[in-house]
Amino acid sequence: MVACLLLLLGCEGYFGYRLHVLSDQQEQIKKDYADVNNIAFGLLSVDEWRDQISGIINHQVKHFTLNAKQKGELQTEVQQIIYALINKAEALLNKKPKTLGGKIKKLAIKTFVNEDSIKAKVPALAKSIIAKIDNPENKNKLSTLAMGKFNQAQQSQHIDSSLTAKDSVMNKMYSKYHVSSPDELNNKLDSLLAGIRTTTYDCSFGMLGCVVIVLGFWWVLRKRVALHGTLFIMSLLFAFILLAVGLTASMIEVDCRIGSLDFVLLGEHAVFKNQVLFFQSKSILDVVEVLVKQPAVDSILVGIMILVFSILFPLMKLTSTGIHLLSKRKLAENRVIKYFAFQSGKWSMADVIVIAILMTYIGLNGLLDKQLASLNIKSDTLTLITTNNTALQPGYIIFISFVLFGLILSTILKSITPYDSH
Amino acid sequence: MTPIKTTLLRMILILGLAVLLGGEAFFGYRLYKLSAEQEQIKEDYSLSNSITFGIFSVDEWRDKIAAIINPQIHDFTLSPEQKKAMQAQVEQALHGLVNKAVAKINKPQKTLGGKLKKLAFNSMVNTDDIQAQVPSFARTIIAKVSSPVSTNRLKDIASAKVGQLELQTYDSTAEANQQITRYVYGKYHVSNAADYDKVINSRLATIRTVTYNYAYAMLGCVLAALALWWLMRKQAHLQTILFVMSLVYALLLLLVGIGTAIVEVDARIRSLNFTLLGQKVDFENQVLFFQRKSLWGVVETLISQSKPDAIVVGSLILLFVIVLPVLRMIAKGIHIVSSKKFAGSGIVRYLAFEAAKWDMADVMVVGILMTYIGLNGILKSQLSSLNIHSGGLTTVTENNSSLQPGYIIFVGYVVYTAVLSAIFKRTMGDGQIRKKQYRRAAVVTS
Repeated sequence: MVACLLLLLGCEGYFGYRLHVLSDQQEQIKKDYADVNNIAFGLLSVDEWRDQISGIINHQVKHFTLNAKQKGELQTEVQQIIYALINKAEALLNKKPKTLGGKIKKLAIKTFVNEDSIKAKVPALAKSIIAKIDNPENKNKLSTLAMGKFNQAQQSQHIDSSLTAKDSVMNKMYSKYHVSSPDELNNKLDSLLAGIRTTTYDCSFGMLGCVVIVLGFWWVLRKRVALHGTLFIMSLLFAFILLAVGLTASMIEVDCRIGSLDFVLLGEHAVFKNQVLFFQSKSILDVVEVLVKQPAVDSILVGIMILVFSILFPLMKLTSTGIHLLSKRKLAENRVIKYFAFQSGKWSMADVIVIAILMTYIGLNGLLDKQLASLNIKSDTLTLITTNNTALQPGYIIFISFVLFGLILSTILKSITPYDSH
Repeated sequence: MTPIKTTLLRMILILGLAVLLGGEAFFGYRLYKLSAEQEQIKEDYSLSNSITFGIFSVDEWRDKIAAIINPQIHDFTLSPEQKKAMQAQVEQALHGLVNKAVAKINKPQKTLGGKLKKLAFNSMVNTDDIQAQVPSFARTIIAKVSSPVSTNRLKDIASAKVGQLELQTYDSTAEANQQITRYVYGKYHVSNAADYDKVINSRLATIRTVTYNYAYAMLGCVLAALALWWLMRKQAHLQTILFVMSLVYALLLLLVGIGTAIVEVDARIRSLNFTLLGQKVDFENQVLFFQRKSLWGVVETLISQSKPDAIVVGSLILLFVIVLPVLRMIAKGIHIVSSKKFAGSGIVRYLAFEAAKWDMADVMVVGILMTYIGLNGILKSQLSSLNIHSGGLTTVTENNSSLQPGYIIFVGYVVYTAVLSAIFKRTMGDGQIRKKQYRRAAVVTS
């Protein structure tokens, strides 16, 4: 029996180790993924906007058109100016010239130039001026000019430095995952993650399977009182492994992003998708760390409480169970030992509850989506903050199994203990 | 004591307890209803004030900026300096024009006509004269352009152009926003944003005070019942009734505690403003994040997920925090009321005495408090990093997260059951448990 159990223990240990490693690996990849898709490289990136803006400039300058009404008004304006100029010129000429030359000039102009016919030509002239401004060739010239200015502006120090930062990160990612384009990178990361996910779940189910088999042993051997002591100590070892993996493997993954940003800016369609605002993958120990590092005293207190409930209590519980079973009556019936052995288990559930409530408040945040859906509003193109990718991780399941396993063990202990359990 | 007197006393006691129970039930029901209404109102409010339809909406930005630019165009006048500068430019252009024309004529001409023209021009026209006239022509042009009629015409053209640009900038929030506004205005019978805010705020304020009053009233009823028990502690024959009634009280507390909201999380940007072209751009009350849930809501959300792990966790909470406490209370009731044989049955005894380890209502109380404090702390630190006071830009964030009456009721339930089980052990459990233990010990040792 001991050999069998040792074999099982080995299996569980192996699965636990694999789970731990995979969970680390997964966290790393997800972090990379979040980095690559971070809002700083999308919506807030100069690079992304450069293309949009050059599109806008092109569009606005090249396709700058005045509609008929605007053209009409502009033409009136030009005509008015030309009329004013002609009138002015006329007035100048009609001044009494003093010199002979001036008199001849006046006479010549009077005979040769017909004022009214000039004035009659004004509308056509104004039209050709407007047409000159509005013709495609000129617009092309202007747009080239504007683009030149824009490109000049781009060479500024600040923009360059932010572009280099982005490039260096992307290049590092490319060489790390042996890919060459953002799409490829995302695909590769997706497939890696899918692979890891199935393996981690297999590993955690493997661990749970081992524990279930141990409980099966208890059922089969429930009549063989002599074996109970050994079986119990072995079960404690199983519980230890569960605890260790449950504490260190990641438990919850918080992913907050802007699902899509979709709008038309000055005639240019701009779409940004999946902008990661915030990504964190945390094990219980990480959660404790985050809380303890907060400036507020109450958060620190909560961090310490989680630490107590998830590490101190379970350790005390496992050791006191061992002590209760193995040591002399006097020590075994010590109040503290008995409390930890029989009653303390449920307090570890506090952590489970905390994570579960956190999950429902942060992760399953379908409030806005649900309301929009109930009003028949399509939410695909609205800019929503979504946290739908927040998920519980295998570490959490392992920790719950540890708590439940511990509670079951203490029930078993109560039935096999030779001493008073109350 | 005569039998009649005892019966009378019992009747009075039951009547008193029943009245208190009625009061508790009424308060509980009202609390539940009001909490649900409050949730509805707050959800509507957070929907219509969502950041999606504010800071994240391109339409909203466009309207705000257009509102600034349009008056700028409308109020545009040329200042004397601008006029002077324009005049200088026009003069330069005219000089250039004249020079070009003269140069063209003075080019060596090949045809006879051309040569004659050149001769005529040179003898008749004095270039210097023309150049001297340039300033006066330029003045004419400027005067014409800056005349009110012309200015208005140019303004019209400019604003029409800006209008065109506005039409080319949009996203899909306008329609959605309109739909939502119509929905909430219809629901609250208001016609504009100011009224809407007023109605919502006044309703929420009244509901808040009333719910807290109901919560305290509920706890008051329970305390009164406990006091009554204290007065009757000598009347051994009344203990059973008292105990069963107390269990019903506890059950009510549990139901209301599960059904009403426990924690509300509400993070918003209270204001974001900056100056653009001398005008203030303002966004107010942008709800970033809102959640309000009862314990039942938490369980429901978890169980309705498609992921198996969430379902498992949800069912565990359902089992340990809701189902088991109810079962234990029923078991205790059965244990006291029913016959010896039934009361001694394994399951009833296990639930009534041994299952405390699996009953996690108390753990839940601690867990909720921990979640609230932790979440609040994290939100606060995240929001404070959004508080910006630099140059023209100011943002103020607000964190309105709070514990809700449901939590008070739930804590009341846990404390009350602790008191009850203490009494239970002392008054009736005591002898019986001891006896059973001795019996079991005897069986084990023999």
